[in-house]
Amino acid sequence: MAATKQDTLGRLRETRVWQSVFRSGWGDSNLHRALAVQQNLFLHLFPAKMRRRSLDIGVTWYLGTLTLVAFFILVATGIPLMLYYHPSVPQAYADMKDLQFVVSAGVFLRNLHRWAAHAMVLLVFAHMARVFYRGAYRPPREFNWVVGVVLLLVTLFLSYTGYLLPWDQLAFWAITVGSNILSSVPVMGLKIRFLMLGGNTVNANALLRFYVLHCVILPLAAVAFIGVHFWRIRKDGGLYRDGHAAARAAESGEQRHG
Amino acid sequence: MRKKIGEGYRALFGDSPRAFGTLGVLLLACLAVVPAKDHFREWSGYQSGYLKYIANRGDAATLKRRFEGGIHQDWLPELGVVDRCGTCHVALKEAVLAGTGPQPFRGHPVIPHNLERYGCVLCHGGQGVATTVEEAHRSSKAWEQPILPARYVEAGCGQCHQNTMTGTPELNQGRTLLAEYGCVRCHTVNVPGGGRMAASDHPPSLEHIAGKTTREWMYAWLKNPQAYAVSATMPNFQLSDDDARDITAFLVAQSTALEVAQGPAETGAAAAESGEGSSLYGESFCASCHAMQNAAGLLVGGNVGPELTRVGTKVKPEWLKAWLWNPGQWSPTTVMPHYRFDGKQIGLLARYLGSQTDSDFLAKVSLPPATAEQVAHGKKLVNERGCGSCHEMNGVKKPDNFAPDLSNVGSRSLEKIVFAPGVQEDLPSYLAAKIQHPHRFGPATKMPQFSLTAPQVDALVTALLAETDRAAGLPAALRVPGKVESDYQPAGPAGKLIADLRCFSCHAFNGRGGDMAPDLSIEGSAVQRGWLVSFLKNPNTLRPALIRRMPRFNLTDGEAQTLADYILTVYQTPAFEAGPLSAAGFTADQREHGRQLFYSKYACQACHIVDPKNDKGYVGPTLTQAGTRLNAAWIVHYLKDPQKMRPGNLEPNQHISDEDARDLAAFLMAQTKGGAQEARK
Amino acid sequence: MAETPKFTTVADSDSRRTPVRVAFVTRRKSPHVKAVDDPEVMTYPETLLRVVVAGELLTLALVAISLLWNAPLEGLADPLLTPNPAKAPWYFLGLQELLHYFPPVVGGVLIPTMVVMALVVIPYFNVNVEADGIWTRNKTRRLRTLTVAVAVLGLGMLLLDVWAILAPTLGMAALMYWTAAGRAGGGGRVKRWLAGKPLPFWIMTWFLIEATVLTVIGTFFRGPGWSWVWPWRPQ
Repeated sequence: MAATKQDTLGRLRETRVWQSVFRSGWGDSNLHRALAVQQNLFLHLFPAKMRRRSLDIGVTWYLGTLTLVAFFILVATGIPLMLYYHPSVPQAYADMKDLQFVVSAGVFLRNLHRWAAHAMVLLVFAHMARVFYRGAYRPPREFNWVVGVVLLLVTLFLSYTGYLLPWDQLAFWAITVGSNILSSVPVMGLKIRFLMLGGNTVNANALLRFYVLHCVILPLAAVAFIGVHFWRIRKDGGLYRDGHAAARAAESGEQRHG
Repeated sequence: MRKKIGEGYRALFGDSPRAFGTLGVLLLACLAVVPAKDHFREWSGYQSGYLKYIANRGDAATLKRRFEGGIHQDWLPELGVVDRCGTCHVALKEAVLAGTGPQPFRGHPVIPHNLERYGCVLCHGGQGVATTVEEAHRSSKAWEQPILPARYVEAGCGQCHQNTMTGTPELNQGRTLLAEYGCVRCHTVNVPGGGRMAASDHPPSLEHIAGKTTREWMYAWLKNPQAYAVSATMPNFQLSDDDARDITAFLVAQSTALEVAQGPAETGAAAAESGEGSSLYGESFCASCHAMQNAAGLLVGGNVGPELTRVGTKVKPEWLKAWLWNPGQWSPTTVMPHYRFDGKQIGLLARYLGSQTDSDFLAKVSLPPATAEQVAHGKKLVNERGCGSCHEMNGVKKPDNFAPDLSNVGSRSLEKIVFAPGVQEDLPSYLAAKIQHPHRFGPATKMPQFSLTAPQVDALVTALLAETDRAAGLPAALRVPGKVESDYQPAGPAGKLIADLRCFSCHAFNGRGGDMAPDLSIEGSAVQRGWLVSFLKNPNTLRPALIRRMPRFNLTDGEAQTLADYILTVYQTPAFEAGPLSAAGFTADQREHGRQLFYSKYACQACHIVDPKNDKGYVGPTLTQAGTRLNAAWIVHYLKDPQKMRPGNLEPNQHISDEDARDLAAFLMAQTKGGAQEARK
Repeated sequence: MAETPKFTTVADSDSRRTPVRVAFVTRRKSPHVKAVDDPEVMTYPETLLRVVVAGELLTLALVAISLLWNAPLEGLADPLLTPNPAKAPWYFLGLQELLHYFPPVVGGVLIPTMVVMALVVIPYFNVNVEADGIWTRNKTRRLRTLTVAVAVLGLGMLLLDVWAILAPTLGMAALMYWTAAGRAGGGGRVKRWLAGKPLPFWIMTWFLIEATVLTVIGTFFRGPGWSWVWPWRPQ
């Protein structure tokens, strides 16, 4: 049975179509494995090889990875949610009710989107703290830390703009409170709030504005900065390795991963 | 054991590919719950339950054929209503299941509305979009308005209907109470479509109160109005002794003297027999408007004017006489007619009413002379308690919006309500508790204690629950307006007379006036002048089955003629010309044919009397003198369509042909016997 | 004629500060490199599998949460009906809590801007490069500075009645004094571990604790009129 499967897969891999898609060929050699990463658009930001130590859970807690996964979940649930949503007053709220009562798995979609959004904000904070405590922002990674701070702000703003979209009491007043904080900026405060809300109060214009920000502008910004962030990890020398810890480990002769 | 767990863990998560596979399977299993959860939703259970429920019925096949699975939705965009109640209440439109069986499989009782056009939540409340029992029926953070409890269900009708309907006794009563108890004097209640609810009580002006009654009476009344008159609508403000004393001090201090013309001198009344005053009270139909407690403690009489059980304890004799002579002098807005009593009659009535006393009422009241501080404090209290909302006083302004606006009280958010301890946290319970015991809601509550029965409270709650946001936003086409009082005012000397006699208190003319007596807007087309003049001078009843209520006003000939001429000229129907037919124009054949029609074809004698000896009809007016009372043309047009001439009339429309109507008129116009007096005896 | 570019030499042997450099090995020096045990693995499949497993775990957790708890939804937005208290999303509640103590310009603009600026400039200060324990050098001077800083901050917060900031600050300071006390390298494991932490560790930890405390207070301990409530006590 297993052999047949192997054969079928093997034959499939020999077809012209397969080879036109996966050009690097198939094999168990390190070369093939390296090519599998290098020749893939999505994987090529990874190096072909990584240090064994930096894959330990205790090193990064995979917080950056998890943040990215949360972002993927948000995109994957956000797009179907857009199909059921009209950014207008009061239809937006009626759409929430439809999701809750009529749309198949609508409640689940909304739940997953909402909880994943909270999770992402939490994970971003945790990631930042972890990076700081490991000292992974030190030169030459200082710019990538700044990119990370920008991503933190983008994440917060994504969550904040999404908060308004259900157009319920919770949303309305949370955004009202938030925008009032903004209006206390000296001199420009009221102007900034007007720009953000498209008016002096949270209204239909604000809903539309937040919708466009939440569904188009901020996700694009997030994708762009995530790209830079990942690219800089490579360019700045891969995942940060704590020289002291490595040296100490070497000195004590500990062969942890022999 | 531990080793086994360790082995199991390693087998599942031992290395990355294993963990990947195991977690993948777990994740897929979790995701598979999503469609499963979707499939087993509450409503689908009810739908299969319905199929089981009808399976044993004889008409199962028919019902099953009409049943459609899935979510049912009525969408009424112009009302902003999305109704999915039919998803579980699948048999709403099945007449055979109406009112029987378990919910949610019961059919809706027959109502004048099409369920599809109006949906459910418009009348019943609740969250129409919801497809779960909890969310659809009960209040939650996401939807505050739960289903209207069955006892208040008429509130749903009141959102569109401002008019009085026979099917909504509770709502009608509630609205009447809002007006009668003067609730709407302190609380604004805007009527959807414009205007606001108007009060129908007549709180007296207190500008001249000292001329009318004593300070002691005011004190006792303020302490407990219902001790003076059980039917008093004035609420109990639960004043302390000192507060009541100070308010009376202020009331006396602000009162000014009123110069009024005195009536004729009292002559001969002193010599009258003891029963004469009581008979005059009865003959003047005072009881149509005023009530008195009889020996058994029951109230007898109308509720238009104040209860007179203890009136002798209240009013000063000279005031009473001046009032009986011409109430309008004292109170231009009173609904009490100017009776034109002579000196003797005034004396009789004043003595009779003055004897209606209750020595207990003022027994414990003794007030020292008022000080200036008391007067000042009294004025402060009067302003604090909002007395000016109902009563006019010198130096007190009518407060604007003294109490909260109740225009949208039926949609009031629970978050805005402060519940008294022990009150169930929903809107109807809050309203009922607040109306019943305002002081449960804290000592600062300004609302006074009304004396209302439990059914009255329920009626008021029903009326208030009808005042919703939705009602205010309904499209105009759905609104059924209530009766709108016109500001019609008849002109000339007759107009003055009509105002002086307060005809509007009982009769309606051109859309204004009361409903105690017939609408007279087209009376001029119906009657003859001679009869009308004599009726005005000395009214009698036309219907044997009714107690006469029209009082005798002692009109002079001139006054009666002025009034009759005005009625005949002005209150004409546009439907026909009065002139062409006259009694003289009918032939004997027509009269005879009319007689046969009257007794045989249409059997009019079932309700009317023409021959007092043989006819036994006591429902309709006696027609023995129809020939001197009625217009021939009126009879013809009236017979052809009684409801058109007199809306709400009991007379059946028998679709009488022109010829038959003419002959019946010929017969009736020959009835000039003046036998009405006999019939009454 | 273009000038010859000025050639500078930098004497820097720190591989972390200057990762790319040319080493001149003179006669008296030898290129001694410490051997580090640092084996490498192929990204495919080792790294990728781990990444996917991590992702699966998170997805699994979120899916389970989504199946069990529904996202909140309240009534239709009503500008006329202000809930009491009106709260911002949870991650801004620390900020909203600050607004309770400080004027809007300080609590809503100045402090958040400073925080963001501080985060941005962190890597451009070399304070953390040495990664020495805070008390390793200049102990007396540093203790004095700490005392002054804590006194100024504490007094300010005390005057403004900001216990939510004052209490964690004092706790933090107490911890720092504790690690400074006694012989260097002495004490238990926790103390030794803490003593090895540099100044930025302490600042960041202080900031994170403050942010957490403020956010938790804003989220759970604030009721109508932003008054203090106990979340376990029903209203």
